Amino acid sequence: MNRPASNIGGIAASPLTNNGDAPPAPRRQFDARGYALDRAPFLVACLMLVVIVGLYGSLQSGVFTLDELNLDTTATLTLLLAATGQTIVLLRGGIDLSIGGVISFGTVLAATHFGDDPGSVLLWSAIVLAVGFGVGMLNGLLISALRLQPFLITLATWSILSGASLMVLPTDGGQVPSWWQAIGSASWLGLASPVWMLLALLVFWFWFRSTRLGIALKATGSNERSAFLSGVSLTRMNLVTYGLSGLFAAAAALYLTTQTGAGSPTIGKDYILPSVAAAVIGGVSLFGGRGNLAGTAVGAFILTIIGNLVFVLHVSSYWQPVAQGAILLIAVLASSLAEKAAQGQDR
Amino acid sequence: MDLLDVTDLTKRYGGIVALGGVNFSARAGEVHALLGENGAGKSTLIQVLAGAVRYDSGRIRLDGADYAPRSPDEARARGIAAVFQELSLVPDLTIEQNIWFRREPLSPLGTVRSRAMRERTLALFERYRFPTLRPDQEVRRLTLAERQIVEIAKGLAGDPRVLILDEATSTLPAREAQWVLDLTRQLAAEGKLVVFISHRMDEVRHIADRLTIFRNGQTVAAHTATAVGDDEIVAQMLGRKLDRLYPERIATTTGVPALRVNDLDAGKHVKRVSFELEEGEVLGVGGLQGHGQRELFQALFGTTRSTGAIEVWGRRTNIRSPRQALVGRDGLALVPEDRRGQGLLLSKSVRENLTISVIRRFADWGLLSETKEAALVREMVEFLRIKTSTPEQPAGTLSGGNQQKVIFGKMLLTEARILLLYDPTRGVDVGTKGEIFQLMRDLAAKGYAILFYSSDLPELVHVADRVLVMRNGEIAATLAGAANSEEGILRASVFDRQAA
Amino acid sequence: MTAFWARNRLIVLAYAAMLVLLLVTSLFSPGFLAESNLRSVVVLAAFVGIVAFGQTFVIIGGGIDLSLPWVLNCAAILMTAFAGGQDVALLWLVPLLLAAGAVIGLLNGVGVAVFGVPPIIMTLATNVILQGLILVYTGGAPTPTAPPLIQFLAVGRLGPVPVVALIWAVLASIAWVLLSRAAFGRYLYALGTSRTVAEYSGVPTLRTAVLTYVISGAGAALGGMLLTGYSGQAYLGMGDPYLFTSIAAVAIGGASILGGSGHYVGTIAGALVLTVLGGLLPALRLSSGALLVVYGAVILLTVAVGSESFGGIAAAILRRRRGQDPAPRK
Repeated sequence: MNRPASNIGGIAASPLTNNGDAPPAPRRQFDARGYALDRAPFLVACLMLVVIVGLYGSLQSGVFTLDELNLDTTATLTLLLAATGQTIVLLRGGIDLSIGGVISFGTVLAATHFGDDPGSVLLWSAIVLAVGFGVGMLNGLLISALRLQPFLITLATWSILSGASLMVLPTDGGQVPSWWQAIGSASWLGLASPVWMLLALLVFWFWFRSTRLGIALKATGSNERSAFLSGVSLTRMNLVTYGLSGLFAAAAALYLTTQTGAGSPTIGKDYILPSVAAAVIGGVSLFGGRGNLAGTAVGAFILTIIGNLVFVLHVSSYWQPVAQGAILLIAVLASSLAEKAAQGQDR
Repeated sequence: MDLLDVTDLTKRYGGIVALGGVNFSARAGEVHALLGENGAGKSTLIQVLAGAVRYDSGRIRLDGADYAPRSPDEARARGIAAVFQELSLVPDLTIEQNIWFRREPLSPLGTVRSRAMRERTLALFERYRFPTLRPDQEVRRLTLAERQIVEIAKGLAGDPRVLILDEATSTLPAREAQWVLDLTRQLAAEGKLVVFISHRMDEVRHIADRLTIFRNGQTVAAHTATAVGDDEIVAQMLGRKLDRLYPERIATTTGVPALRVNDLDAGKHVKRVSFELEEGEVLGVGGLQGHGQRELFQALFGTTRSTGAIEVWGRRTNIRSPRQALVGRDGLALVPEDRRGQGLLLSKSVRENLTISVIRRFADWGLLSETKEAALVREMVEFLRIKTSTPEQPAGTLSGGNQQKVIFGKMLLTEARILLLYDPTRGVDVGTKGEIFQLMRDLAAKGYAILFYSSDLPELVHVADRVLVMRNGEIAATLAGAANSEEGILRASVFDRQAA
Repeated sequence: MTAFWARNRLIVLAYAAMLVLLLVTSLFSPGFLAESNLRSVVVLAAFVGIVAFGQTFVIIGGGIDLSLPWVLNCAAILMTAFAGGQDVALLWLVPLLLAAGAVIGLLNGVGVAVFGVPPIIMTLATNVILQGLILVYTGGAPTPTAPPLIQFLAVGRLGPVPVVALIWAVLASIAWVLLSRAAFGRYLYALGTSRTVAEYSGVPTLRTAVLTYVISGAGAALGGMLLTGYSGQAYLGMGDPYLFTSIAAVAIGGASILGGSGHYVGTIAGALVLTVLGGLLPALRLSSGALLVVYGAVILLTVAVGSESFGGIAAAILRRRRGQDPAPRK
């Protein structure tokens, strides 16, 4: 038997019998339909963004300019940073509700301890990041060691951090140095610093997802048991996943202080569910294993620009949450339909 | 010189002795088959060898050096790779990503070098003459058979010295199964050791140089394949004369059609299937795996959509959900393929599992009667001889055979007289198998109509009155009487309809 | 006895925890065990319990309802707006708003069970949409005070017993019947344990799942209307705290967040635990921030104790002490 064994994915090889094969699906060339269906949620999100920006641009001048990009990115970056961590956790198949607490606590620590001295600012920035990372790792540890549901664990740690924020700073206040705030509005080569941060984030992502860790993360979310059988340490994966989520939430907190100039013990709550929404709109699956940061970025921008659109349409700003909720539903239904259509063509 | 030498290996799980002093040795350049019933210790031994499980005492030597891996990673580093029945593939990754998972070639930046990975994949495929697969295809698009092949590729990826294959051919169509067998010979010719577990005697005969037989956690014999006959092997596996596993077959059909199926179509998997199942009949469904049998059962039970005419006890019916199938005496009941994922609520008690489909039978005015429920439970536990300390025991703690009995009980309580049994004896110990076969014939005698699928040819031959052989979604042949033989079924499974 | 303990271990522990907390609080706050104070504890817990009523069903079924806050708030606002402080209007308003809550629940249920939208997303979207819509409708303007009858229901008494506690008791009985004594309960537990197995067993999974959300919506509406009686009027954001507390109460009461286990009896204990903890706050002179920290810690503690892993770890330690091998992982 020198010739290769049968061609299961393609044309039946032997003219004599039917190979005893089950009917094969035609897979000779590049499967364009399958490829598109796989990415359908992301493509739908892009389409929605285009429509929304188009609408916005038709009603307001100066939308398709660099200025607008700078403005919108500045407004979106906090959410995007928070959503980056959430994306990582969602890819793992979990969820992180504690980022709200990390963000609140981060802003509160910054506003009360930065002072004016750059050395102190740097130190406390590092502390905020460390706290975020540490809390995240604690989440990961509890989830692994006690094999408990991420939803409850992160709900509990959110509560603890929220409480801690209130204890440190009972009401909005505190202060960060004006030079620190200036970082958030600096610009270079015509692009605002948040845009550069966005680019850096995307570069980070394209690197991360091609590393062994990034692939293992996706694998663990796709099928935890298979990943485990293949030698992935679930404990270590959880530590890293939630640790990164906390780290990005802390980064979001620091960025937020450049925008608001103060600390707030309750601000974080407003970012939890939107971070999930941004990711889901962008095509990240709640079940794990599918999606990427580009989608989340699209989702985050959609959520922000809807606000602009509502404003420009001169309707009550209360329509913004309605539109956001509706878009979220559309995105999920679209991806669910695409999933069903895709299943139709495989076995 | 033995490549692998196992001496006096023991492994206990609580009070259960999985391996009680196993002695086993195998050489490089051979294909060594492990035979034995389920639970005899084969799986535990290979789990130990593959580093998935640690042993309690004894000694293993690999190539003369001590071998006691603490993880599969360590085992692989020492050159032992295993392909288990439980697949370890990640659906959202591509084939090549799965094959090289955690061993991808990296660039200095720590990112995966996709071109190098592609080259390695193609080289691997070519070296071992793999069936054609597209490396960039996501695994979730693959059939079960294709996934099995990818799993084998994954095992070979590290160029191991020892490759363990656990029932690697059970999900493969004939041609691919043959490829696996050829592969083992190729690996042996390269000087590797292949440890091969299979329940198919013909396969074992085809490729094994030597065999070791397990029974009750010990190795009872090791033979050179050519020096021992099938009867002796079976006798050593069972430890006793081959009891009559199959019950006596008495004709119990009454001629009344219980189920009449006409031109049933279900997606791509079932095409224009027509057949009739009579009252009192045990009708077998055979054919190679993946030819529509599963989809046929699902269409009949209502878990997949289908078109076509179905008549149940003479009445046209449209079954679109299990709820519509389970309607009491005139309904159909399914004992599904996946015990744990489709058949049982593992964390719930035996009682709750048994009664979940028949709540109405013990509800007065919408309120449940615990006494009535207890009576139903007792009746079924006794009738089927379900071994459980109390009906409150969680179903997940029962043995495979008893779990299957609970599922039977659950369906019998619905009083549906048409039973659909999908591979009812898979993973069930020999004793319970016999009970199930007897049960099937007893029920047929009582007027039940039974449709059952089995991947085991002797079962179909000895238990079914007739056998429908499915091929490519159609019924290729209906065999009865003398034509209902292992050879007959196999031929119909593999070859086109032959004239006359 | 052991069978009872095995099945209800977590609920018993929750009640034990509540008793312990009561005693501890009374040590720090000498008037705590007085009748009037206990009464107010029960009243506060009742509100949590009423809102968590529906959440219990949803969670047992394997879902979650994040739309409670604004269903609650909408019902509160609409009731006070249309009643205009008069009792008469309640005759048609109460049933109407209960039905409206049920309809929202129906939408949630259909989205989840028919269209396959993950519960987190579906109920989140509903919550946010309702928030926007009601704000558009009212423009953020305040509504009239609640009618006297509602206020009586919320803070009044029949003899020594607070009316709202009676309402709570009625709900508790309904829950007990539904979960322990009706087919619906069996179906629900099966659905929450494994949807696939439930379907293969002929359980009406669609109907059951949708029903949980309908109950939850109606329950939230009821809670909203009653709450206006407690604070005298409806205000924006009044429902927000109840999301966390409803989930926490269900979790502390022993239900698995994944579904398939738990009971309303446990939720009652959970609501009481949370309320008593809230009473510990002024007793220990803790800030509201500290209370949140305590809440979080309590949740962690309860789920840790209740987790299989904990039991498994404990059992493994015991087994090792007896010189046996730990059981295999599968």
